[in-house]
Amino acid sequence: MYVELKNINKTYGDYKASDNINFSIEKGKLIGLLGPSGSGKTTILRMIAGLETPDSGDIIIDGEIVNNIPASKRGIGFVFQNYALFRYMTVYDNIAFGLKVQKADKKYIDDKVNELMKLTALEGLGKRYPSQLSGGQRQRVAFARALAPNPHLLLLDEPFAAIDAKVRQELRSWLKEMIEKLGITSIFVTHDQDEAIEVADEIIITNKGRIEQKGSPVNVYQNPETSFVASFFGQPSTIDDYMSFHSFEDVSGIEKAIIRPEFVKVSKKDEVQRFKSSASEGVIESIAFRGANIELKIKVNDTHIIAKRGLDEKEVHVGEKVDIFIYRLFVTKGNEVRLLENKSLVDDSLVI
Amino acid sequence: MDGKRKESSLVKWLLIDISALFLGVMLLLPLGIVIWQSFKQGIAVYMKAVTDKYTVSAVLLTIEATVTAVIVNTVFGLFAAWCITKFKFKGKKLISTLIDIPVTVSPVIAGLMFMLLYGKQSALYPYLQKMHISVVFAVPGIIIATVFVTFPFISRELIPVLETHGTDEEEAAALMGAGGFTIFRKVTFPHIKWALLYGIVLCTARAMGEFGAVSILSGHLRGKTNTLPLHIEILFNEFQYVPAFAVSSILVAMAVMILVLRSVIEAVARR
Ligand SMILES: Nc1ncnc2c1ncn2[C@@H]1O[C@H](COP(=O)(O)OP(=O)(O)OP(=O)(O)O)[C@@H](O)[C@H]1O
Ligand SMILES: [Mg+2]
Repeated sequence: MYVELKNINKTYGDYKASDNINFSIEKGKLIGLLGPSGSGKTTILRMIAGLETPDSGDIIIDGEIVNNIPASKRGIGFVFQNYALFRYMTVYDNIAFGLKVQKADKKYIDDKVNELMKLTALEGLGKRYPSQLSGGQRQRVAFARALAPNPHLLLLDEPFAAIDAKVRQELRSWLKEMIEKLGITSIFVTHDQDEAIEVADEIIITNKGRIEQKGSPVNVYQNPETSFVASFFGQPSTIDDYMSFHSFEDVSGIEKAIIRPEFVKVSKKDEVQRFKSSASEGVIESIAFRGANIELKIKVNDTHIIAKRGLDEKEVHVGEKVDIFIYRLFVTKGNEVRLLENKSLVDDSLVI
Repeated sequence: MDGKRKESSLVKWLLIDISALFLGVMLLLPLGIVIWQSFKQGIAVYMKAVTDKYTVSAVLLTIEATVTAVIVNTVFGLFAAWCITKFKFKGKKLISTLIDIPVTVSPVIAGLMFMLLYGKQSALYPYLQKMHISVVFAVPGIIIATVFVTFPFISRELIPVLETHGTDEEEAAALMGAGGFTIFRKVTFPHIKWALLYGIVLCTARAMGEFGAVSILSGHLRGKTNTLPLHIEILFNEFQYVPAFAVSSILVAMAVMILVLRSVIEAVARR
């Protein structure tokens, strides 16, 4: 394991920003630290970098406990949430700063900075100041600056947060490619689930200062281990009484059920349905066009659920009565979560 | 609509006129009189007053006290502003309140404080005598008083700038392996440069004009412990009006120079 956090605790005043954090990261992996705002992501990153000291626990990098090594000696690259570029230095000087501090050879510095500017598509901007750059360019300068001193670990705090949606998409894939190419172990923070799923090799999910789950994007999405993770991904609808939908096993002590849009089949009354007998009737309350599909808010069994229909399917209207069939849902008890399949699916497969 | 606009432009000019009148009566008129009075009896008398041996020594002492105060307060101001904005510690509020005391306490009281601390009635006095240090009625007293009275000026200019600046850039530099001094020189200093210069200008202006605290500690020894403001007061009290105004004009000239410097700094910094 390349980076390891063992029983890390950190409090600000009486607020527990990190609550017994344990995880480890393999060399060369790109890790996404995902969680809602205030869940302690930045705190974890800052402790790894040495900008913050844990109250207890060990941080191990490359087999060495680094708790007492100052930030300046850890050899970690850090891209700040707001980039923190040196605003009184040109782009060139920003990128060269770390190498100048290391008293590297002039020629080497020049070559390295030019190489990085080329890599990050910043050629020709060397003489500009950060205030004369676009958001995306600033992001790339911050990235190049962090990479210049050849760090063996790169930490990125919401690297795309300040960038508009379109450029963000491009930068995401660019960053992933870049990091893969350089083979540098990286941890990036985000509160955007799509970003984490798309970019990360592995996702660590934080909530209220704790780690909820760690795993591959597919795994955390499909097999949530806690009720928080189950309700974090997708566009979950939370319902109190799942037994009001047909054909689900009655598990005792269940508090809530979570339904994702892809768990729901919405059929018009005149459409052929396989599971008509297990469907519930609902009324469409609102319709939103989402580009690739249509998002529906449906009132059914006295609650609301979000569902989707493809653009190729027949049109539906607000106020229309439709049949709702739920393929599966997550049920939660405390922090535990379980996936329940609709029994008619199971029975169906038995018949065949 | 049109009437409204006329009315507002009337108000505008009225306000501008009142301000101009006020400035004229309160500021330009007195300053003009100082200059006029000092030249009333001709250039020769003016030159004689200005080149008088006691005047020259007063100018030199004023410069000495001002330069010392600026140097001491620049160093202190930088440290204080740095500590207050970059570290979290207990008693931070208290320190930042204490820094303001010299501007809130009357300079006369400051003078009395040092009098009690270093004067004959003080418990420190025997030790100071043993070490042959005299503070009261001597140059060190004047310098101490000037430093005290002007010490908030530089830190007060720096603190807001450092506060809005935050610590991100410094952290970024530290992560790249830079040491404290490099960080200050390369990252923090460019940011506070203009505020620092501005603070120095204010500090200089205030130090040059300091009267109250210095007056108490000086003892008015001509040629020894008289600063310019004190010298002017003595001349005035001796009914030597022309020399008093002539010497005042030196102080006015120095103040105007500082003002010009200030405007230049402001203009450059805004760019
Ligand atoms: N210096 C500090 N002093 C006091 N509380 C702090 C400090 N830094 C963070 N906190 C608190 O610790 C908690 C975790 O903060 P952190 O910055 O790690 O959250 P985050 O997951 O990065 O959130 P975001 O997505 O909004 O950036 C928050 O509740 C925050 O208020
Ligand atoms: Mg954060």
